[in-house]
Amino acid sequence: MLIHGKAIDDFKTERKNITPPLPMALRLVPILFYLSIVCGILMNGIFALQFADATRARDQATQELSATRANLAKVDEERKALEAEVKRASDIAAWVESSRPLQPLAVNIARSIGPESNIVDLKLERDPENPAQLKLALRLTGDSTKQLDLILERIAAEKYRIYTPQQTLIRGEIEYKATLVWQAGTTVESAAVTP
Amino acid sequence: MTGKDIFAVLTFRAFRPEPDDPTAQWKKRFPKIRTLLMSFGKAAIFWKTVKSNGQVGEGDTISGDPKETLPTLSARATELAENGWCAVSMNTRYVISLEANLSRRAGSEEALKSNPRSVLGARYERGKRYAVTHNPETNASILLTCDEEHIRKLEAQLKEANFRVNRICCGTYILLRHALSLTNTNPKSGDKPASYFYIVCCQGSVCALVQSADNWLELRSRPDVYTEDLAPLLDLVTPFQSRLTPDMEVILTCDEPMAELAAKLRETFAGHKFTDLTQPDLLWNLLIQN
Repeated sequence: MLIHGKAIDDFKTERKNITPPLPMALRLVPILFYLSIVCGILMNGIFALQFADATRARDQATQELSATRANLAKVDEERKALEAEVKRASDIAAWVESSRPLQPLAVNIARSIGPESNIVDLKLERDPENPAQLKLALRLTGDSTKQLDLILERIAAEKYRIYTPQQTLIRGEIEYKATLVWQAGTTVESAAVTP
Repeated sequence: MTGKDIFAVLTFRAFRPEPDDPTAQWKKRFPKIRTLLMSFGKAAIFWKTVKSNGQVGEGDTISGDPKETLPTLSARATELAENGWCAVSMNTRYVISLEANLSRRAGSEEALKSNPRSVLGARYERGKRYAVTHNPETNASILLTCDEEHIRKLEAQLKEANFRVNRICCGTYILLRHALSLTNTNPKSGDKPASYFYIVCCQGSVCALVQSADNWLELRSRPDVYTEDLAPLLDLVTPFQSRLTPDMEVILTCDEPMAELAAKLRETFAGHKFTDLTQPDLLWNLLIQN
Protein backbone atom coordinates (compact mmCIF):
# COMPACT_ATOMS: atom_id res chain seq x y z
CA MET A 1 0.00 0.00 0.00
CA LEU A 2 1.27 3.45 -0.84
CA ILE A 3 -0.15 6.63 0.66
CA HIS A 4 1.18 10.04 -0.22
CA GLY A 5 1.47 12.42 2.71
CA LYS A 6 2.33 15.56 0.78
CA ALA A 7 -1.15 16.99 0.37
CA ILE A 8 -2.35 19.15 3.24
CA ASP A 9 -5.99 19.84 3.79
CA ASP A 10 -6.85 23.49 3.53
CA PHE A 11 -10.14 24.72 4.91
CA LYS A 12 -9.62 28.39 4.29
CA THR A 13 -12.54 30.07 2.56
CA GLU A 14 -12.06 29.86 -1.21
CA ARG A 15 -9.78 32.59 -2.55
CA LYS A 16 -10.76 34.67 -5.51
CA ASN A 17 -8.56 35.88 -8.32
CA ILE A 18 -5.73 33.49 -7.60
CA THR A 19 -3.69 33.15 -10.76
CA PRO A 20 -1.30 30.25 -11.19
CA PRO A 21 2.37 31.10 -11.61
CA LEU A 22 3.55 31.60 -15.17
CA PRO A 23 5.52 28.77 -16.81
CA MET A 24 9.22 28.79 -16.03
CA ALA A 25 10.07 28.98 -19.75
CA LEU A 26 8.56 32.46 -19.82
CA ARG A 27 11.29 33.64 -17.44
CA LEU A 28 13.17 34.26 -20.65
CA VAL A 29 10.95 37.31 -21.23
CA PRO A 30 12.17 39.39 -18.26
CA ILE A 31 15.68 37.94 -18.63
CA LEU A 32 15.77 39.07 -22.27
CA PHE A 33 14.28 42.39 -21.21
CA TYR A 34 17.04 43.00 -18.67
CA LEU A 35 19.66 41.71 -21.12
CA SER A 36 18.37 44.13 -23.75
CA ILE A 37 18.60 46.98 -21.23
CA VAL A 38 22.18 46.02 -20.33
CA CYS A 39 23.05 45.65 -24.04
CA GLY A 40 21.36 48.97 -24.74
CA ILE A 41 23.40 50.68 -22.03
CA LEU A 42 26.60 49.06 -23.32
CA MET A 43 25.80 49.95 -26.92
CA ASN A 44 24.92 53.50 -25.91
CA GLY A 45 28.20 53.73 -24.04
CA ILE A 46 30.10 52.46 -27.06
CA PHE A 47 28.14 54.78 -29.36
CA ALA A 48 28.76 57.74 -27.04
CA LEU A 49 32.50 57.03 -27.07
CA GLN A 50 32.49 56.60 -30.83
CA PHE A 51 30.39 59.75 -31.22
CA ALA A 52 32.88 61.69 -29.10
CA ASP A 53 35.74 60.31 -31.22
CA ALA A 54 33.88 61.12 -34.44
CA THR A 55 33.09 64.65 -33.23
CA ARG A 56 36.73 65.16 -32.31
CA ALA A 57 37.83 63.84 -35.73
CA ARG A 58 35.24 66.03 -37.49
CA ASP A 59 36.41 69.12 -35.58
CA GLN A 60 40.01 68.27 -36.42
CA ALA A 61 39.09 67.74 -40.08
CA THR A 62 37.16 71.02 -40.10
CA GLN A 63 40.15 72.82 -38.63
CA GLU A 64 42.45 71.19 -41.18
CA LEU A 65 40.01 72.14 -43.95
CA SER A 66 39.88 75.74 -42.75
CA ALA A 67 43.67 75.88 -42.57
CA THR A 68 43.93 74.32 -46.02
CA ARG A 69 41.37 76.78 -47.41
CA ALA A 70 43.23 79.67 -45.82
CA ASN A 71 46.47 78.39 -47.35
CA LEU A 72 44.75 77.95 -50.68
CA ALA A 73 43.36 81.49 -50.54
CA LYS A 74 46.81 82.78 -49.67
CA VAL A 75 48.36 80.82 -52.51
CA ASP A 76 45.56 82.05 -54.81
CA GLU A 77 46.24 85.60 -53.73
CA GLU A 78 49.95 85.14 -54.31
CA ARG A 79 49.25 83.53 -57.67
CA LYS A 80 46.95 86.40 -58.64
CA ALA A 81 49.55 88.94 -57.52
CA LEU A 82 52.16 87.01 -59.45
CA GLU A 83 49.88 86.84 -62.49
CA ALA A 84 49.14 90.56 -62.20
CA GLU A 85 52.89 91.24 -62.01
CA VAL A 86 53.47 88.90 -64.95
CA LYS A 87 50.71 90.69 -66.86
CA ARG A 88 52.17 94.05 -65.96
CA ALA A 89 55.61 92.88 -66.98
CA SER A 90 54.16 91.45 -70.18
CA ASP A 91 52.34 94.71 -70.77
CA ILE A 92 55.51 96.65 -70.17
CA ALA A 93 57.42 94.25 -72.38
CA ALA A 94 54.71 94.58 -75.03
CA TRP A 95 54.69 98.30 -74.60
CA VAL A 96 58.43 98.44 -74.80
CA GLU A 97 58.31 96.23 -77.85
CA SER A 98 55.50 98.18 -79.45
CA SER A 99 56.96 101.53 -78.61
CA ARG A 100 60.35 100.68 -80.01
CA PRO A 101 59.77 102.90 -83.13
CA LEU A 102 58.80 105.79 -80.83
CA GLN A 103 61.72 105.45 -78.45
CA PRO A 104 64.14 107.56 -80.42
CA LEU A 105 61.47 110.25 -80.63
CA ALA A 106 60.77 110.12 -76.90
CA VAL A 107 64.49 110.05 -76.06
CA ASN A 108 65.12 113.05 -78.28
CA ILE A 109 62.24 114.97 -76.74
CA ALA A 110 63.52 114.11 -73.24
CA ARG A 111 67.12 115.10 -74.09
CA SER A 112 65.97 118.37 -75.54
CA ILE A 113 64.63 119.55 -72.19
CA GLY A 114 66.86 122.23 -70.74
CA PRO A 115 67.54 122.88 -67.04
CA GLU A 116 64.89 125.64 -66.82
CA SER A 117 62.07 123.57 -68.24
CA ASN A 118 60.10 120.56 -67.14
CA ILE A 119 57.80 118.20 -68.95
CA VAL A 120 54.64 117.93 -66.87
CA ASP A 121 52.92 115.58 -69.24
CA LEU A 122 53.83 113.88 -72.48
CA LYS A 123 51.49 111.69 -74.51
CA LEU A 124 52.18 109.96 -77.78
CA GLU A 125 49.08 108.10 -79.05
CA ARG A 126 48.84 106.12 -82.26
CA ASP A 127 45.48 106.14 -83.90
CA PRO A 128 44.49 102.47 -84.61
CA GLU A 129 42.58 103.55 -87.69
CA ASN A 130 45.44 105.55 -89.03
CA PRO A 131 48.64 104.02 -87.66
CA ALA A 132 50.84 106.39 -89.67
CA GLN A 133 49.77 109.27 -87.46
CA LEU A 134 50.77 110.00 -83.86
CA LYS A 135 48.85 112.27 -81.52
CA LEU A 136 51.23 114.36 -79.45
CA ALA A 137 50.10 116.04 -76.26
CA LEU A 138 52.68 117.93 -74.24
CA ARG A 139 52.65 120.22 -71.21
CA LEU A 140 55.68 122.23 -70.31
CA THR A 141 56.73 124.61 -67.57
CA GLY A 142 59.55 127.12 -67.42
CA ASP A 143 61.12 128.79 -70.46
CA SER A 144 58.49 127.14 -72.50
CA THR A 145 58.45 128.84 -75.89
CA LYS A 146 62.15 128.25 -76.60
CA GLN A 147 61.92 124.85 -75.16
CA LEU A 148 58.89 124.03 -77.31
CA ASP A 149 60.73 125.16 -80.41
CA LEU A 150 63.69 122.97 -79.50
CA ILE A 151 61.38 120.02 -79.02
CA LEU A 152 59.66 120.58 -82.35
CA GLU A 153 63.09 120.74 -84.05
CA ARG A 154 64.04 117.42 -82.51
CA ILE A 155 60.71 115.93 -83.63
CA ALA A 156 61.31 117.17 -87.14
CA ALA A 157 64.84 115.73 -86.97
CA GLU A 158 63.23 112.36 -86.32
CA LYS A 159 61.44 112.66 -89.68
CA TYR A 160 58.02 113.48 -88.31
CA ARG A 161 55.96 116.18 -89.91
CA ILE A 162 53.74 118.22 -87.65
CA TYR A 163 50.13 118.85 -88.58
CA THR A 164 47.35 120.81 -86.89
CA PRO A 165 49.41 122.10 -84.00
CA GLN A 166 47.48 123.70 -81.12
CA GLN A 167 49.23 125.66 -78.45
CA THR A 168 47.66 127.14 -75.32
CA LEU A 169 49.18 128.85 -72.32
CA ILE A 170 47.53 128.15 -68.98
CA ARG A 171 49.04 129.48 -65.72
CA GLY A 172 52.60 129.52 -67.05
CA GLU A 173 52.30 126.09 -68.62
CA ILE A 174 52.25 125.54 -72.35
CA GLU A 175 49.92 122.87 -73.53
CA TYR A 176 50.80 121.71 -77.01
CA LYS A 177 48.88 119.26 -79.17
CA ALA A 178 49.69 118.15 -82.73
CA THR A 179 49.45 115.25 -85.15
CA LEU A 180 52.77 113.74 -86.19
CA VAL A 181 53.08 111.97 -89.50
CA TRP A 182 56.11 109.87 -90.10
CA GLN A 183 57.73 110.52 -93.47
CA ALA A 184 58.37 107.02 -94.75
CA GLY A 185 60.61 107.93 -97.71
CA THR A 186 62.83 110.01 -95.59
CA THR A 187 63.05 107.18 -93.09
CA VAL A 188 64.22 104.71 -95.74
CA GLU A 189 66.71 107.26 -96.83
CA SER A 190 67.93 108.07 -93.40
CA ALA A 191 67.96 104.30 -92.61
CA ALA A 192 70.18 103.88 -95.61
CA VAL A 193 72.42 106.75 -94.43
CA THR A 194 72.55 105.66 -90.71
CA PRO A 195 74.82 102.54 -91.05
CA MET B 1 -2.76 43.27 -18.87
CA THR B 2 -2.09 46.08 -16.42
CA GLY B 3 1.07 47.78 -15.32
CA LYS B 4 0.93 45.72 -12.14
CA ASP B 5 1.08 42.49 -14.18
CA ILE B 6 4.02 43.77 -16.20
CA PHE B 7 5.79 44.79 -12.99
CA ALA B 8 5.13 41.29 -11.59
CA VAL B 9 6.74 39.72 -14.67
CA LEU B 10 9.76 42.03 -14.54
CA THR B 11 10.33 41.32 -10.84
CA PHE B 12 9.83 37.55 -11.47
CA ARG B 13 7.00 37.57 -8.94
CA ALA B 14 4.62 36.28 -11.63
CA PHE B 15 6.68 33.08 -11.83
CA ARG B 16 6.22 32.36 -8.13
CA PRO B 17 2.92 31.17 -6.72
CA GLU B 18 0.82 33.81 -5.03
CA PRO B 19 0.96 33.79 -1.21
CA ASP B 20 -2.65 32.70 -1.14
CA ASP B 21 -2.24 29.89 -3.67
CA PRO B 22 -3.20 26.72 -1.76
CA THR B 23 -1.66 24.39 -4.36
CA ALA B 24 1.90 25.62 -3.80
CA GLN B 25 4.44 24.78 -1.13
CA TRP B 26 4.76 27.15 1.79
CA LYS B 27 8.44 27.80 0.99
CA LYS B 28 7.60 28.76 -2.58
CA ARG B 29 4.73 30.96 -1.51
CA PHE B 30 6.87 32.86 1.01
CA PRO B 31 10.48 32.87 -0.13
CA LYS B 32 12.64 34.92 2.22
CA ILE B 33 9.61 36.11 4.15
CA ARG B 34 9.05 35.71 7.89
CA THR B 35 5.74 33.96 8.58
CA LEU B 36 3.87 32.60 11.56
CA LEU B 37 2.40 29.18 12.31
CA MET B 38 -0.32 28.94 14.93
CA SER B 39 -1.96 25.99 16.54
CA PHE B 40 -5.35 26.70 18.08
CA GLY B 41 -6.39 24.42 20.93
CA LYS B 42 -9.44 24.71 23.14
CA ALA B 43 -7.60 26.62 25.86
CA ALA B 44 -4.33 27.75 24.30
CA ILE B 45 -2.63 29.14 21.25
CA PHE B 46 0.75 27.70 20.45
CA TRP B 47 2.74 29.63 17.88
CA LYS B 48 6.05 29.38 16.13
CA THR B 49 7.69 31.67 13.62
CA VAL B 50 9.14 30.62 10.32
CA LYS B 51 12.33 32.55 9.69
CA SER B 52 13.10 34.08 6.33
CA ASN B 53 15.47 31.15 5.60
CA GLY B 54 12.54 28.72 5.93
CA GLN B 55 13.60 27.32 9.31
CA VAL B 56 11.28 27.10 12.30
CA GLY B 57 12.15 29.84 14.75
CA GLU B 58 11.06 30.88 18.22
CA GLY B 59 7.70 29.96 19.66
CA ASP B 60 5.53 30.30 22.71
CA THR B 61 2.24 29.20 24.20
CA ILE B 62 -0.48 31.61 25.22
CA SER B 63 -2.87 29.96 27.62
CA GLY B 64 -6.51 30.94 27.73
CA ASP B 65 -9.46 31.08 25.41
CA PRO B 66 -8.11 31.88 21.92
CA LYS B 67 -10.85 34.47 21.42
CA GLU B 68 -9.47 36.44 24.35
CA THR B 69 -5.78 35.73 23.95
CA LEU B 70 -5.56 36.37 20.20
CA PRO B 71 -5.55 40.21 20.63
CA THR B 72 -2.40 39.93 22.76
CA LEU B 73 -0.71 38.16 19.88
CA SER B 74 -2.01 40.68 17.38
CA ALA B 75 0.12 43.38 19.03
CA ARG B 76 3.14 41.46 17.77
CA ALA B 77 1.63 40.53 14.41
CA THR B 78 3.96 42.60 12.26
CA GLU B 79 6.96 41.62 14.37
CA LEU B 80 6.22 37.90 14.11
CA ALA B 81 5.11 37.75 10.47
CA GLU B 82 5.76 40.04 7.53
CA ASN B 83 2.46 41.32 6.20
CA GLY B 84 0.78 39.17 8.87
CA TRP B 85 0.90 35.96 6.84
CA CYS B 86 0.14 32.94 8.99
CA ALA B 87 -1.05 29.34 8.86
CA VAL B 88 -3.40 27.87 11.41
CA SER B 89 -3.65 24.36 12.71
CA MET B 90 -7.13 23.89 14.10
CA ASN B 91 -7.26 21.37 16.95
CA THR B 92 -10.87 21.73 17.96
CA ARG B 93 -14.32 21.54 16.39
CA TYR B 94 -13.41 18.83 13.90
CA VAL B 95 -14.26 15.17 13.38
CA ILE B 96 -12.08 12.48 11.85
CA SER B 97 -14.07 9.41 10.90
CA LEU B 98 -13.65 6.20 8.97
CA GLU B 99 -15.96 5.93 5.98
CA ALA B 100 -16.52 3.36 3.27
CA ASN B 101 -17.54 3.50 -0.37
CA LEU B 102 -16.84 7.17 -0.95
CA SER B 103 -16.58 8.26 -4.57
CA ARG B 104 -13.07 7.96 -5.95
CA ARG B 105 -13.66 9.31 -9.39
CA ALA B 106 -10.98 11.43 -10.96
CA GLY B 107 -11.03 14.90 -9.43
CA SER B 108 -13.15 13.79 -6.48
CA GLU B 109 -10.72 15.40 -4.00
CA GLU B 110 -11.19 18.75 -5.76
CA ALA B 111 -14.92 18.17 -5.99
CA LEU B 112 -14.92 17.62 -2.23
CA LYS B 113 -14.21 21.35 -1.82
CA SER B 114 -16.51 22.73 -4.47
CA ASN B 115 -19.36 20.20 -4.40
CA PRO B 116 -18.94 17.80 -1.45
CA ARG B 117 -22.40 16.32 -1.91
CA SER B 118 -21.31 14.72 -5.19
CA VAL B 119 -18.53 12.85 -3.37
CA LEU B 120 -20.08 12.14 0.00
CA GLY B 121 -23.65 11.47 -1.05
CA ALA B 122 -25.83 10.81 1.99
CA ARG B 123 -22.93 11.51 4.37
CA TYR B 124 -22.88 15.14 3.34
CA GLU B 125 -23.89 17.64 5.99
CA ARG B 126 -24.67 21.25 5.28
CA GLY B 127 -22.26 23.81 6.74
CA LYS B 128 -19.26 21.50 6.86
CA ARG B 129 -15.95 21.40 5.04
CA TYR B 130 -14.23 18.13 4.25
CA ALA B 131 -10.92 16.48 3.44
CA VAL B 132 -10.43 12.84 2.59
CA THR B 133 -7.70 10.19 2.47
CA HIS B 134 -8.53 6.99 0.62
CA ASN B 135 -7.10 3.58 1.36
CA PRO B 136 -5.78 2.40 -2.01
CA GLU B 137 -6.23 -1.27 -1.10
CA THR B 138 -9.77 -1.17 0.25
CA ASN B 139 -12.90 0.94 -0.04
CA ALA B 140 -12.22 2.64 3.29
CA SER B 141 -11.50 6.36 3.57
CA ILE B 142 -10.56 8.68 6.38
CA LEU B 143 -12.85 11.71 6.33
CA LEU B 144 -12.04 14.96 8.08
CA THR B 145 -15.05 17.17 8.77
CA CYS B 146 -14.83 20.74 10.02
CA ASP B 147 -17.49 23.21 10.99
CA GLU B 148 -17.68 25.93 8.33
CA GLU B 149 -19.04 28.54 10.72
CA HIS B 150 -16.17 27.93 13.10
CA ILE B 151 -13.70 28.41 10.24
CA ARG B 152 -15.33 31.66 9.17
CA LYS B 153 -15.29 32.94 12.75
CA LEU B 154 -11.65 31.97 13.06
CA GLU B 155 -10.86 33.82 9.83
CA ALA B 156 -12.69 36.90 11.07
CA GLN B 157 -10.88 36.81 14.41
CA LEU B 158 -7.52 36.52 12.70
CA LYS B 159 -8.36 39.34 10.32
CA GLU B 160 -9.33 41.51 13.25
CA ALA B 161 -6.01 40.68 14.87
CA ASN B 162 -4.17 41.97 11.75
CA PHE B 163 -3.24 38.51 10.53
CA ARG B 164 -3.64 37.32 6.97
CA VAL B 165 -4.53 33.71 7.28
CA ASN B 166 -3.05 31.67 4.52
CA ARG B 167 -3.94 28.12 5.38
CA ILE B 168 -6.34 26.55 7.87
CA CYS B 169 -5.75 22.89 8.47
CA CYS B 170 -6.13 20.21 11.08
CA GLY B 171 -2.82 19.28 12.74
CA THR B 172 -4.03 15.86 13.87
CA TYR B 173 -5.14 14.95 10.35
CA ILE B 174 -1.80 16.13 8.89
CA LEU B 175 0.16 14.05 11.41
CA LEU B 176 -2.03 11.02 10.73
CA ARG B 177 -1.44 11.29 6.98
CA HIS B 178 2.26 11.74 7.66
CA ALA B 179 2.34 8.55 9.73
CA LEU B 180 0.38 6.66 7.09
CA SER B 181 2.66 7.83 4.30
CA LEU B 182 5.84 6.94 6.22
CA THR B 183 4.67 3.43 7.09
CA ASN B 184 2.78 2.51 3.92
CA THR B 185 5.49 2.92 1.36
CA ASN B 186 5.16 -0.25 -0.68
CA PRO B 187 3.60 0.55 -4.03
CA LYS B 188 2.95 -3.10 -4.97
CA SER B 189 -0.41 -4.26 -3.81
CA GLY B 190 0.53 -7.94 -3.89
CA ASP B 191 3.28 -7.59 -1.29
CA LYS B 192 2.97 -8.41 2.37
CA PRO B 193 0.21 -6.26 3.87
CA ALA B 194 1.11 -4.01 6.77
CA SER B 195 -0.55 -3.89 10.20
CA TYR B 196 -0.16 -0.87 12.43
CA PHE B 197 -1.81 0.85 15.30
CA TYR B 198 -1.43 4.59 14.84
CA ILE B 199 -1.62 7.01 17.76
CA VAL B 200 -1.54 10.66 16.79
CA CYS B 201 -1.41 13.47 19.34
CA CYS B 202 -1.55 17.16 18.55
CA GLN B 203 -2.18 19.97 21.00
CA GLY B 204 -4.49 17.94 23.22
CA SER B 205 -6.23 16.12 20.35
CA VAL B 206 -5.86 12.40 19.87
CA CYS B 207 -6.54 10.07 16.96
CA ALA B 208 -6.11 6.31 17.00
CA LEU B 209 -6.33 4.14 13.89
CA VAL B 210 -6.07 0.38 13.56
CA GLN B 211 -4.72 -0.91 10.27
CA SER B 212 -4.71 -4.68 9.91
CA ALA B 213 -3.28 -6.16 6.73
CA ASP B 214 -3.79 -2.87 4.92
CA ASN B 215 -7.39 -2.65 6.11
CA TRP B 216 -8.43 0.27 8.24
CA LEU B 217 -10.55 -1.35 10.85
CA GLU B 218 -11.21 1.19 13.54
CA LEU B 219 -10.63 4.88 14.10
CA ARG B 220 -11.22 7.00 17.18
CA SER B 221 -10.59 10.70 17.23
CA ARG B 222 -11.23 13.20 20.02
CA PRO B 223 -10.21 16.83 20.19
CA ASP B 224 -9.25 18.46 23.48
CA VAL B 225 -8.56 15.20 25.29
CA TYR B 226 -5.56 16.16 27.41
CA THR B 227 -3.54 19.12 28.55
CA GLU B 228 -0.73 18.27 30.96
CA ASP B 229 -2.29 15.20 32.44
CA LEU B 230 -1.93 12.31 30.00
CA ALA B 231 -4.39 10.01 31.72
CA PRO B 232 -7.38 10.86 29.46
CA LEU B 233 -5.20 10.10 26.45
CA LEU B 234 -4.14 6.75 27.85
CA ASP B 235 -7.73 5.98 28.76
CA LEU B 236 -8.70 6.55 25.16
CA VAL B 237 -6.04 4.33 23.59
CA THR B 238 -5.74 1.58 26.20
CA PRO B 239 -8.96 -0.25 25.13
CA PHE B 240 -7.32 -0.93 21.77
CA GLN B 241 -4.73 -3.13 23.46
CA SER B 242 -7.07 -6.10 23.58
CA ARG B 243 -7.96 -5.73 19.91
CA LEU B 244 -4.43 -5.55 18.50
CA THR B 245 -2.91 -8.63 16.97
CA PRO B 246 0.61 -9.48 18.14
CA ASP B 247 2.19 -8.58 14.80
CA MET B 248 0.84 -5.03 14.89
CA GLU B 249 3.36 -2.28 15.32
CA VAL B 250 2.44 0.73 17.39
CA ILE B 251 3.23 4.01 15.67
CA LEU B 252 3.24 7.14 17.80
CA THR B 253 3.22 10.53 16.07
CA CYS B 254 3.05 13.75 18.07
CA ASP B 255 3.45 17.39 17.07
CA GLU B 256 6.23 17.77 19.66
CA PRO B 257 8.30 15.09 21.43
CA MET B 258 6.50 13.69 24.51
CA ALA B 259 8.94 11.38 26.25
CA GLU B 260 6.58 10.60 29.12
CA LEU B 261 3.77 9.61 26.77
CA ALA B 262 6.08 7.42 24.70
CA ALA B 263 7.28 5.62 27.82
CA LYS B 264 3.76 5.03 29.07
CA LEU B 265 2.58 3.78 25.69
CA ARG B 266 5.54 1.38 25.54
CA GLU B 267 4.39 0.01 28.86
CA THR B 268 0.77 -0.16 27.81
CA PHE B 269 1.50 -1.86 24.51
CA ALA B 270 4.30 -4.09 25.75
CA GLY B 271 4.86 -6.98 23.40
CA HIS B 272 4.25 -4.87 20.33
CA LYS B 273 6.93 -3.26 18.31
CA PHE B 274 6.84 0.45 19.13
CA THR B 275 8.00 3.23 16.82
CA ASP B 276 7.95 6.91 17.67
CA LEU B 277 7.88 9.07 14.53
CA THR B 278 7.79 12.24 16.57
CA GLN B 279 10.44 14.84 15.89
CA PRO B 280 10.92 18.33 17.24
CA ASP B 281 8.71 20.80 15.34
CA LEU B 282 7.27 17.94 13.28
CA LEU B 283 3.91 19.59 12.58
CA TRP B 284 5.52 22.93 11.70
CA ASN B 285 8.03 21.29 9.39
CA LEU B 286 5.24 19.41 7.65
CA LEU B 287 3.37 22.68 7.18
CA ILE B 288 6.44 24.37 5.74
CA GLN B 289 7.47 21.52 3.46
CA ASN B 290 4.05 20.95 1.93
